[in-house]
Amino acid sequence: MPDKIRDINSGRNEKTNEQPRTFAPRRLAAIVAGDIASYSRLMEFDEEGTHSRVRRIQRDLIEPSITEHYGRLVKTTGDGFIAIFDSPLEAVRCAIVIQQNMTGRNAVLSKNLWIEYRIGVNLGDVIIEEGDIYGDGVNVASRIEGIAEPGQVFISGGIYEQIKNKLVCGYESLGDKKVKNITDPVRVYKVLPDPTAYKSRRRRDTVLILLISLAWLGIAAAAVWAWFPGLQRLASAPSGPLLQSAPSPQADANAKQPEPAKASGAATPEKQAALQGAPPAHTAAVREPIMNTLPGGTFSMGSNEDASEKPVRRVTVKPFAIGRYPISVGEWNQCATAKACAFTAKGRDDAPVTNVSWSDAKQFVTWLAGATKKPYRLPTEAEWEYAARGGTQTRYWWGDEIQSGMANCKNCTDVVSAEQPIRVGNFQANPFGLYDMGGGVDQWVEDCWHKNYQGAPSDGSAWVEGDCGSHVIRSGSWKNDARYVRPSNRDAYDNARYPTHGLRVALSP
Amino acid sequence: MKVAPLIALVAALAFVSGAAQAQGKAAAKDALLYFVSPTNGAIIKGGFWCRFGLRHMGVTHAGDDFPNSGHHHLLIDVDEPLDPNEPIPADKNHVHFVAGQTETYLDLPPGRHTLQLVLGDGRHYPFNPPLVSAKITITVK
Repeated sequence: MPDKIRDINSGRNEKTNEQPRTFAPRRLAAIVAGDIASYSRLMEFDEEGTHSRVRRIQRDLIEPSITEHYGRLVKTTGDGFIAIFDSPLEAVRCAIVIQQNMTGRNAVLSKNLWIEYRIGVNLGDVIIEEGDIYGDGVNVASRIEGIAEPGQVFISGGIYEQIKNKLVCGYESLGDKKVKNITDPVRVYKVLPDPTAYKSRRRRDTVLILLISLAWLGIAAAAVWAWFPGLQRLASAPSGPLLQSAPSPQADANAKQPEPAKASGAATPEKQAALQGAPPAHTAAVREPIMNTLPGGTFSMGSNEDASEKPVRRVTVKPFAIGRYPISVGEWNQCATAKACAFTAKGRDDAPVTNVSWSDAKQFVTWLAGATKKPYRLPTEAEWEYAARGGTQTRYWWGDEIQSGMANCKNCTDVVSAEQPIRVGNFQANPFGLYDMGGGVDQWVEDCWHKNYQGAPSDGSAWVEGDCGSHVIRSGSWKNDARYVRPSNRDAYDNARYPTHGLRVALSP
Repeated sequence: MKVAPLIALVAALAFVSGAAQAQGKAAAKDALLYFVSPTNGAIIKGGFWCRFGLRHMGVTHAGDDFPNSGHHHLLIDVDEPLDPNEPIPADKNHVHFVAGQTETYLDLPPGRHTLQLVLGDGRHYPFNPPLVSAKITITVK
C-alpha cells in the first residue's frame, strides 16, 4: 500500500477514535479498496474543483454507504479509500451501490469530468491499528482494485465463494491474475453491473416500479374478478347489474383474506357477509390432491448402477401419504390465484405443472398446508424412492427391462420421441397405485443434494445438512432416457426453474 | 423522478414477460466461451477443477433476463448435436450452472472424456447462433 498513499487522513468514523481496542488486533475481514481512475489527469485539469468534488463524494456517498452496509471506513487517501466489513456480502453490496451512484452522478457531466472509481474487494486476515490496517489481505485488495476497470467492482475468489449463491448478480471469471508483489496468482471475478442494474440501482425507482406493477396487477385482478363471477352468474340467472356490483366486495374480501380456506374456516359474521358475493371457486375449500396412504416399511435404498446411488443401504420409512399424481396445473393455479405461488401455470388443468423451482415447490406445499390445515410437505428422498419402488427391488418397478407404455421417457415408448405429458396418470400405476413415479416430469424432494449416500440418514427423514445450493430431483422426465426412470435414479438441480421440473406432495399422518 | 418513462418501462416489462418464448436471442458478436482449465488433451489424475471463461458477455442466474448475459452449461461426453430450438437438456451429461457458477469440481471415471460449454439464456435456450466453446478431450487416469 504505502507507495499509493498521497495524503492520509485517519478514518473519520467516530468508533475508530472512541474504541480503538474493541477489535482484536488480527481478524478476518472483507476489505474494500477504491480509488479514482485518472486522478492525476483530473487534478491537472481542475485541482480545486476536483478536490472539492472528491471530498463531497466521500462525505455524501462513500462514508454513508459504508455505514449503511455495516462497514468501517479505515482511511481515505487523496483519491481513494479503504474500508473493512464483517460480511463479504455487505462489502460487495456497498461497492455496487457506490459504483451505481457514481454512474448516476457522472451521467450529467461531460466525459472528461467523470470521476470513476475502481473498486477491489478481498477477504483476508488484517492487522488493525488506529487509522490504518495492514496485512497481505489489504495488499491483495488494493492490487485487485489496481487491475479493475474504471467503474467496475473486481472481487477475489475468496469473496466470490462467499457470495456467489447469495447475491443475485453476474460474475465474470477473469481467471488467475498475477498481481504486483504478490507471489501467488489471485483468482479474480468481475461483478457485472448489468444484471444488478435493475435490482439495486436506485431503491426509489425500484419501489415505484413495484408499486406501479402492483397497481397493474390489481387492475388486472379486478378485471378478472369482474369477469368471472359475472360470467358464472350470467350462466345461472342472467342479470346485468351484477357485473358492476360483484367485483367490489370480492376485491375487498380478497384483500383482507389472502388465504381463502382460513376465511371460510374461521369467518366472523361480518366477514361472511363480505364474502357472500364471492364465487364458489373462491370460498370453497381447496381441491386437495388425491393421496395414497402407504404403510411404513424397510427397503434397500440406492443401487450400484451409478456412483450417486451408492452405497445401497437399508432405510426404514414411517407410514405416510403421497400424491397419487404429480401436482397438476389446476391444483397449482389454486395457489397462484391465492397469490401464494409465484406464477400462474399454463396448459390443461390436468397436465402436470412444470417450470417449478425448489422454492416454488416449497411455496406450494406451504400454501396447501395452510389452506387445508394439514401437514402437506415435499416428500423426503427416501420416501420418494420407497413409494416409487412400490415394494419391488428390481431395476424398474415392473422388472429389470424397460417396457413400452410403462413410463413417459425418451426412447422408452413405441413412439419415437416422448412428448411433454398432456395429463397426469397417462401411464400405468405402480404396485402402490401411484402414477408417473419415473418419467413424465421431474419431481422435487425436500433433501439437499449429496453426491452419494455416504452418511445419509436411515430413518427416512430428509437429509438437509451441508451446503444446500442444490436439491435432489427425482423421477426423470419425458426428456430423459430409460436410465432416469429407475426408482433409484437421482439428480441434482440448483434452485431455479427448468421446463421439465414439477413436484409431488406428501402428507404426514 | 420521471414517471412517464417508468410507466413505459413497466409496460414494456409486462409486454416482454407476456411474450411466450425467449429463444433464439443473439449473443454478443465478439463473445467467446472457452475453458480456462483443463486444456485440450490434458491428462489428469483423479478429480479436477473445471473453470469456464466467457468474454464480452456476462454470467447471471437462470431466470434473469438481462441483455447480453447467460449461464453456463457443461456438456460431458455429449455427441448428439444441440437443438437450438429446445432448452438445453438437464441430465447427468448436461450439467447446468444456474446460480452463475463459473467453475465446478469434476470427478469423472478413468478414460477419455469430452467437455464442451454452452451458454444458455435465462430460460436455458442456446443463443442463436449457439454460443459454444471448443469441444476439448481430456483423459482421466
